[in-house]
Amino acid sequence: MKFDFVENSNPSRRRVLRDALTLAVAASPLASLAKAATETTETNPDEVTFAAGPRPLVQYPQKRPLTLVTTRPPHLETPFPVFNEGPITPNDAFFVRYHLANFPLSIDPDSYRLTIKGSVDTPLSLSLTELKALAEPVEVVAVNQCSGNSRGYFSPRVFGAQLGNGSMGNARWVGVSLKTLLEKAGVKAGAAQVTFRGLDKPVLPSTPEFIKALDISHAMDGEPMIAWSMNGTDLPFLNGYPIRLVVPGYFGTYWVKHLSEIEVVDTTFDGFFMAKGYRVPDNDCFCVAPGTAAAKTLPISRLPVRSFITSVQHGDVLPLGKNVELKGIAFDGGAGINKVEVSSDGGQRWREARLGQDLGRFSFREWTLAITFSSKGATQLMVRASNSAGETQPLQADWNPGGYRRHVVETYHLTVA
Amino acid sequence: MKRLTTLLCAAQVCLATLASAAPLSITLPPETAVFKPSELPGYALAQQKCSTCHSADYINFQPPGMTLAQWTAEASKMQHVYGAPISDQDVSIIGAYLAVTYGSAKASDAEVQTASNPPPSAPPVANVDAKTLLQNNGCLACHAIDHKVVGPAYHDVAAKYGSDPQALTRITASIQQGSSGKWGEMPMPPFAQLSPEDLKTLATFILQQ
Repeated sequence: MKFDFVENSNPSRRRVLRDALTLAVAASPLASLAKAATETTETNPDEVTFAAGPRPLVQYPQKRPLTLVTTRPPHLETPFPVFNEGPITPNDAFFVRYHLANFPLSIDPDSYRLTIKGSVDTPLSLSLTELKALAEPVEVVAVNQCSGNSRGYFSPRVFGAQLGNGSMGNARWVGVSLKTLLEKAGVKAGAAQVTFRGLDKPVLPSTPEFIKALDISHAMDGEPMIAWSMNGTDLPFLNGYPIRLVVPGYFGTYWVKHLSEIEVVDTTFDGFFMAKGYRVPDNDCFCVAPGTAAAKTLPISRLPVRSFITSVQHGDVLPLGKNVELKGIAFDGGAGINKVEVSSDGGQRWREARLGQDLGRFSFREWTLAITFSSKGATQLMVRASNSAGETQPLQADWNPGGYRRHVVETYHLTVA
Repeated sequence: MKRLTTLLCAAQVCLATLASAAPLSITLPPETAVFKPSELPGYALAQQKCSTCHSADYINFQPPGMTLAQWTAEASKMQHVYGAPISDQDVSIIGAYLAVTYGSAKASDAEVQTASNPPPSAPPVANVDAKTLLQNNGCLACHAIDHKVVGPAYHDVAAKYGSDPQALTRITASIQQGSSGKWGEMPMPPFAQLSPEDLKTLATFILQQ
């Protein structure tokens, strides 16, 4: 077994120094006294505001320093500059998110079992070796994005994990197709949904368990898979070791970690995290007027089109009259990105960027665009993507009570000098 | 190889051996987030109740400026949706503390005062017995006498410390200041508001199990 965090990373000296400071600060009982010092090193105009101020970088097992969202259960974000390094998010930089704090800290792959039960002809209890031998492995490059990614930018603000844009990542997943597995067990006629649970459990028995469900048609369409490999190696512990559900094109809430039990059910599953949590307004925009409630909701599902510029950050100063190569990423729920455009005049005129290598319709798609600024002063860059289903991004952010599926055109405030 | 193993363990990840199918074990960093101190009674209550299921940074990193109504609704959601072992009165007291400390409310607001100082439901009793203390402080949400729930069975605590001459002091300190790392992955929150008498009653009771 090898671990990226030992072998990898040749971070810049500046990052090492900065991380060392914030790590020391985060771990110190003098954290509040030292906060002023972190604020000056961590100045980031792009950072959302929190009651407790800027979030520290923290060191977790098998991870490089990541942005702290919560300690227990752990929720860590990928620092945004990572997305400028390439279309694949390294395992040690991949975001971490648990709902429930009671999960094991030691997992034995030899005794690990995945059970398949419920409305099937042959209930199964498979070891990892048996799972891997079930069929020829399948592979997909797919984005896992938290439903609440960017929630911290909602206006009006909503409760929940206050996320920047770093609760997303793109990885190459290898595993067995869920369809193959279910065919092995033999789905009985009348099956309606398939439920998934992992080893993460509630602390108190009164708290709802984290169980997710997919419609049987989706479970059998060949896209969802049970992955044991992420970017060519075992899944990091905190990303679901040894196996997790991968649902390409769907929000991360369905990507159950430490997957341990699959059940085929004959009715629509009504557990909390499907029937009450992770729901969006049931209309065309999945949105309501800001600050209002939705009359009717449905479970969140596919990723909307999103795009980011990764090569510049808010507040950057760019040169006048020189060629600047802009770079970024775009992705969607599986139709595939077919156009990325950039505007430097507030959205009146748009210039089409050059798309990078196509790693598949569920992957980040890199893009580049050379741009020359001809006047000095404050300026803004906007980026907008479209997919082959004709969907694009709104110029005004829409709103929903859960703070889910943010997908507005991103605007970067810069200075040309 | 030995050096690599040491390195792995030092970096919060341990493998029993480096064979391909050894258990994968991790150590999570210590929890350093704490609730913002306050004179309000909801401070101690939040430390105990909220900390059972999540760290204080769940609250520390919420948006600034939320109102008393919003924070109280959030505490109510914890009670009704996530099954937190808190009463309606606890919801009001915790909501008031959170709204003043993290939100837009002021400690002097009439609504905050009313929420924080509910009329006593029963006159205070001088000598409260251990079982009443266990009930009133929510101990039984996480502990039982004879089996592990979230925390250890009192029976097991008594067995572990029974022969220790410092047992009473140690148990008292664990209740008062909270404890972690002795029984598993879940830290126990501090119960700092308990009187010395109540602490002694509880510690004595536990050691008798």
